[in-house]
Amino acid sequence: MRKLPRPVRLDFVAPVHQAPLAGAALCVVGLAAALALGLAFDRELAERSRLDAALGATARPRHSAPTPESLKSAAEAATVERELGIPWTRLLAELEAASHDSAASVSLLHVEPDPGKQLVRITAEVRAVPDALAYLKRLQKSAVLRYPMLESHERRKDDPEHPLLIKLSAEWRR
Amino acid sequence: MSPLWRDEIAIYLAPRKLALVRRARGLKPRIVAATVLAVPAGTVGDIGPVFARLADVLTEPTWHGAAARVVVADHSWARYGIVPWPATRLDAAGRLTHARYVLGDTYGEAVADWAVTLADTPPGHSYVACAMPATLRSALEDTLAPARLALVSLQPQLIVAFNAWRHRLPADDTWFVSLDDGLLSAVHLSAGAWDRVHMARLSPDWSVELERLQAFGRLTRAAGALGRMFVDAPAWMRRGAAASAGLEWLEEDAGDGAQTHELALLERMYV
Repeated sequence: MRKLPRPVRLDFVAPVHQAPLAGAALCVVGLAAALALGLAFDRELAERSRLDAALGATARPRHSAPTPESLKSAAEAATVERELGIPWTRLLAELEAASHDSAASVSLLHVEPDPGKQLVRITAEVRAVPDALAYLKRLQKSAVLRYPMLESHERRKDDPEHPLLIKLSAEWRR
Repeated sequence: MSPLWRDEIAIYLAPRKLALVRRARGLKPRIVAATVLAVPAGTVGDIGPVFARLADVLTEPTWHGAAARVVVADHSWARYGIVPWPATRLDAAGRLTHARYVLGDTYGEAVADWAVTLADTPPGHSYVACAMPATLRSALEDTLAPARLALVSLQPQLIVAFNAWRHRLPADDTWFVSLDDGLLSAVHLSAGAWDRVHMARLSPDWSVELERLQAFGRLTRAAGALGRMFVDAPAWMRRGAAASAGLEWLEEDAGDGAQTHELALLERMYV
């Protein structure tokens, strides 16, 4: 191929510094790549939005205004949950052990839990006040109960042996 | 209309001649108007008469609202120099100062206040510098403005002619000569680049100047080398010098040769 003289780029007005062909081609390739990347990014954004929308429509719980029935059901469920949470096995075993330690001077009459307050109310009969205090002291050492208190005591006159009716309360530990 | 698709008007200015070509852009660019006008009052070195004639012509709507590319005849309006690549690294301002020094060394104080511009050249190569009267551009812009013509290019004739005929020239040891009304501009090519520029006023027997140039070429050429001389000249000069030996006349392959040299030059700008 015949070699041509170089063109003379000289102008008093127009800029004469022309970008080499390779530079122009690189610029075009760069722009095309940027455009392709932009389009791909836009597609991914659209796909993410679509998936977000689909996820929101299927998995998001529906929030509706509570009705009296639902409130009642929720309260009952909470009550059941609290009652199921009472540590009956440990509580009864502890009360039984305390009675045994008191050398049969204490007769348990009634055990009533109050799940709401995490409180157990105990009704028992003893021969005399010292027996009641000894029983109270034994409960204070228990690992299952805390803050045992003697709430009341009353001499039963209708009984021929005149036992002392005592009422105690204590919190149970979880 | 978008500036990218704006029509273009190519204008050729010489002291005693004026040519205009309007080219419509678009998918199929075409020439829609062309004219050549004489400037009887014109004198070499005075831009006044030709600019006055141009202002007259531009009152016609045919030439309104376009981008203007102007070619000025070399005559007394352009001076060239070949500036060697500097030994030390120079910035753009430094290269311009260097070029002014080279031009001043060749043409003297006459070009001291002229505008100078440089050709875009790969590093390490000599480059072409050109000087033009500083007032030419501003006068041109003032003349074009009323016709809503935006000056987008201003080049001297030798540059335009050389670039137009470049594809017909060998790259080594070749003279490219541009002849016009009263002036000869010649460029010597070596390794595909300009290495000498010669300008001379033509006497009535302009073939004498060509013979002088040929003799100069023979004296400066290495022994045994065969240099060639390609001449771009108006048709009437070609006919008159047909017998000159050693000259290769640059003519269009197609066309009837009836077109004026100036219009042909303007149209070759777009090829």
